[in-house]
Amino acid sequence: MKKQNKTLIIALICIGIAAILPLFISNNYHLNLMIQVLINIIIVLGLNFITGLTGQMNLGTAGIFSMGAYTSALVATKSGVNPWICLILAAVMGIIIGVGLGYPSLRVSGVYLALTTIGFSEIVRVLMTNLTDLTGGALGVNNIPVFSIFGHEFRENKEIYYLYLVIALLLIFNAYRIVNSKWGRSFLAIKDNPEAINASGVNIAKLRIMAFTLTAVYSTIAGSLYAHYVGFMNPSAYNIEFSINYVVMLVIGGIGSVAGNIAGAILVTIVPELLRFIENYYWLVFSIITLLFVIFLPNGMLSLFNKKKSMKK
Amino acid sequence: MQVLIQLLITGIAMGFIYALVAIEYTIIWNATGLLNFSHDKFILFGAYMFAGTYVLSLGLPPVIAVLCTIITMFLFGIVSAFVIFNPLSRLSTNLFAVIGTVILGRIITEAVRLIWGPLPFSLDGFLKGSYKIGSVVVSRSHVIIILVCTLITVSLQLFFKFTKTGKAMRCVSENKTAASLMGVNVSINIALTVGISAVICAIIGILVVPIFNVELQMSSMIGLKGFASGVIGGFGHLPGAILGGILLGVVEIFGSMIIPSVYKDCLSFILLIIFLLIKPSGLLRDRK
Repeated sequence: MKKQNKTLIIALICIGIAAILPLFISNNYHLNLMIQVLINIIIVLGLNFITGLTGQMNLGTAGIFSMGAYTSALVATKSGVNPWICLILAAVMGIIIGVGLGYPSLRVSGVYLALTTIGFSEIVRVLMTNLTDLTGGALGVNNIPVFSIFGHEFRENKEIYYLYLVIALLLIFNAYRIVNSKWGRSFLAIKDNPEAINASGVNIAKLRIMAFTLTAVYSTIAGSLYAHYVGFMNPSAYNIEFSINYVVMLVIGGIGSVAGNIAGAILVTIVPELLRFIENYYWLVFSIITLLFVIFLPNGMLSLFNKKKSMKK
Repeated sequence: MQVLIQLLITGIAMGFIYALVAIEYTIIWNATGLLNFSHDKFILFGAYMFAGTYVLSLGLPPVIAVLCTIITMFLFGIVSAFVIFNPLSRLSTNLFAVIGTVILGRIITEAVRLIWGPLPFSLDGFLKGSYKIGSVVVSRSHVIIILVCTLITVSLQLFFKFTKTGKAMRCVSENKTAASLMGVNVSINIALTVGISAVICAIIGILVVPIFNVELQMSSMIGLKGFASGVIGGFGHLPGAILGGILLGVVEIFGSMIIPSVYKDCLSFILLIIFLLIKPSGLLRDRK
């Protein structure tokens, strides 16, 4: 009970900071960065389900994210449907991807999910670039409408930030509940001891597919939010490097815990801006730091504060 | 008819490249249980080292440049085995190993970009030209690819079958504990395996220099198709890897006659999914 109270207080303080921060920021660029942080948090939380909890690697974030973004953007621009319905359609697309890609790759044990997701990502990029009639090819989709509530359009960065903050908080709460539920514990058990969970009569394949579907839904929702925020989409940025960025966030923050994911997403999005002075060497330095994390501190930054818990593992 | 034969030879040549990629990561997989996700970056590194440093800046003749690249990559493989693969293979779950090799790949890419610059370049006159047999025209690079790949595959099999080191490596991949009890030094064995794998990567990199430009994205598709051919043939099984690679190369080249060639790369993904759905153990491996 005491621990729960402590978590609640920390969470409330963080929400408070997140809520009042924009009041002190007038620079539009910094606001953009903060919206990007929110979107990244959603993606990393999603990635945590499959990679952090069940221990299967997903290297296709770019493909899943851009499928969500394109679904939302194309439906909104071609048929003029309300963006909120497009967001729901993007989530449905996430379920389709999750089951469609998860079923072949997660039924058999092994590293197949990593392979199929890399492949999926590349195929999505090829299709987005070459199906010119549908997606606009390399030029992409333009003039994607913004979200609106009761006729009020969210155009200002500050308004978008607060809207996305509410959505992100809902998704964070949802992720927290899932991670600390029966599902979350069974996901974790798959990573730690598949034989035992198999012997307890739990269907591993089904659980893994479920975890991957959650991942896909979170990523497509983030994609849709991103598309309606920037207003245009083109396929060039969504390659394997994009996907690896989110794995880096997951590792730096702390695998398996919601707080760690959030910390990782914030850190890896903000720090490049602070390290601009080493511009060219930035990714080299940062990748080496990440590799050191993987080898020496595999449970992420959070395990520094949570010594007891990481010792138990 | 000649067109068909020419296409077949092109397909087989590309197939041999995929087969080599599959072999190169399969031997690491067998020795350590880790999948080297940075393998396409090893290929990239080899190609840049050969073309950028040894041929273009130092002006060495190709044969000596190839030897230098092989030696450097072997040392690079050994070092990365001790620094990265050995510590990672001791961690509790495989997940961190996957992440570790993925990040290693990014480090190599960044290093390549910083050392040789982001602009693509090509080697003029290296393995260019063609042979004419009857009415069939075969490009020189494809013939060399087929010859070199056959040579590597055969010598690798002989090495694993008949030399003491090769036998020890097969022991390590069967059972690490038993191997170390029999006096095999497991970590040196793993290092040797990664070294050999890095050498194969370098050779792949050199062989594809005439086909692609030397650029940062040159090897990502080959890396992916190598994974696909491993799954098609049977994961962790060397003859399966070779068969899967050649099959993929031939299917791809004939597939591009039917579908637009920009979608050629989708075929390997479709084959990968089909095999995972119908026969996840691959063509040549029976046990699951």
